[in-house]
Amino acid sequence: MSPRRLTLGGLLRLLLVYSLLTVGAVVMLLPFAWMVSASLMTPREVMARPLVWVPSVPQVGNFGALLQAVPFGRAYLNSLVVTLTVMAGILLTSSLSGYGFAKFQFPGRDVLFLVVLATLMIPPFLILIPVFYLVRQLGWVDTYPGLIVPNLVTAFGIFLLRQYMLSLPDELLDAARIDGAPEFTIYWRIVLPLVGPALGALAILAFVYHWNSFLWPLIVVRSPGMMTVPLALNSLRIYASSPEVINLQMAGATAAILPVLLIFALLQRWFVQGIALTGLKG
Amino acid sequence: MTPAPIILQTLIRARRRRLGARALAGYAFVAPSLLFLLIFALGPLLFTFYVSLHEWNMLTPVTAMPFRGLENYRYLLFEDPLFRQTFLNTLAFALGNVTLSTVFGLGVALLLNTRVAGRTIWRAIYFLPYVTSSVAVAIVWANLYHPSYGLLNGLLELLQQPPQRFLASLEQAMPSVIAVAVWHSVGYYMVLFLAGLQSIPAELYEAARVDGADPWRSFWLITLPLLRPTLLFVIVINTLASLQVFDLVFILTNGGPVNATTTLVLHMYRTAFEFTRMGRATAMAMLLFVVVFAITLIQLHLLRERE
Repeated sequence: MSPRRLTLGGLLRLLLVYSLLTVGAVVMLLPFAWMVSASLMTPREVMARPLVWVPSVPQVGNFGALLQAVPFGRAYLNSLVVTLTVMAGILLTSSLSGYGFAKFQFPGRDVLFLVVLATLMIPPFLILIPVFYLVRQLGWVDTYPGLIVPNLVTAFGIFLLRQYMLSLPDELLDAARIDGAPEFTIYWRIVLPLVGPALGALAILAFVYHWNSFLWPLIVVRSPGMMTVPLALNSLRIYASSPEVINLQMAGATAAILPVLLIFALLQRWFVQGIALTGLKG
Repeated sequence: MTPAPIILQTLIRARRRRLGARALAGYAFVAPSLLFLLIFALGPLLFTFYVSLHEWNMLTPVTAMPFRGLENYRYLLFEDPLFRQTFLNTLAFALGNVTLSTVFGLGVALLLNTRVAGRTIWRAIYFLPYVTSSVAVAIVWANLYHPSYGLLNGLLELLQQPPQRFLASLEQAMPSVIAVAVWHSVGYYMVLFLAGLQSIPAELYEAARVDGADPWRSFWLITLPLLRPTLLFVIVINTLASLQVFDLVFILTNGGPVNATTTLVLHMYRTAFEFTRMGRATAMAMLLFVVVFAITLIQLHLLRERE
């Protein structure tokens, strides 16, 4: 490859590319920067005109006041319990049935897989009312099972893992069978370790999706003690719409996005690749 | 009897027994999920349709709900002014959101597909809003838009421009909601576009350059045609997501002012869980599903074309 000559036109183009990217990046980051800054301001600073950009003394106490205003700690715990359980459930059920559909021959398999694909096309709003009725009949309103159980299986996860498992070599599984390994042991000891990347992508997507989920908890949760983080944020908004609590709202938003931010910072490559992979595979 | 057929027979029998056991194992692996989908997805789907033909407040027993035929549909389509308005609002939101996030997503992807330094960092910055919860995002933006104390009017003041009412204004509310939606999801579409762009062979651009095509021409003649599958895919999934928008409008405006931003799913939520008119709410869901389903069929068709 010949070294790139830096012509005037090339320089101008480079300048244009970086300027556009910078302007866009400022637009993307400014709301976050202001969120963090305002979460540490006094109400007077939040409302000040002309604008105050940075708090004179960071009001770390805002985060304590947040816990006073809404049961935010409890909501955090609830969100962690619900999200991690749902994630584990999705990984288990998706890999089990993905394996069943990918590596076994049985009558009706293809029809059953079509059924799974059909449920992929059912948008959440369409079954919201019956699923709520079902959960209410089961006595699960305002409980962990109500938040968790309806989300334990996703057609998307089954589809993703089935596609991934199709490429596993049959000889490997047959060799284990000849050695007399039970089917479940083969799944647990051989298949699962081989589909790590797909499980990782699914785990990240499931965690982020359910950590951020709002509509279903909004319907199922009744008492403050069962609120998840998005519900706590919502109640913070209702708690007082006065500008006096904008700083508390920003503190809540900052705390709410922290876990996902952490995952994103640590696993960005996985994350983006997972999105690209699942996006392109449909 | 010669030994060969015996061995063969034993082999066949063993194989058949093994296949039988393996078929059973296959059923065992898929059964839990299937049963679950039956109870929590397919059953509810049928039940939604059933309820949409009835009047129900969720208190009367399922067996006793009065049958109303297509009355709920007739009411929504010909009488409920709010249904028509929320349908149009939803379409306006989808149109604005899909157009803008496609244009910006593609734009950023094109910028990042050059020999730019620090691509991973740029990509992370643009992708960041997408991973944050829509509720948190909406709460932050509701405050940015605040007519008296918001950052945006503060910035306008610095530029000596008159303040705007944003979410509180009939005309500006929907564009303001769309702006947040675009900001929230543009990074996701950028990632999909980047993947699409990187699958275009570099030799094509090289050849075009040798033939004297400028970047503008090679964009129209190479990039866009080869990106068509990604482009269609992005437009379809974004349309599907946009038609179901709920979180953002619920937090940002709660449908206001005067239902200027009430979307179909928000209208359905209120009909069901504030006014407990389950018949109407499920009929609404069915009507929206018809639209969504048509688009899904188009999507499947396009995907098949790609393979």
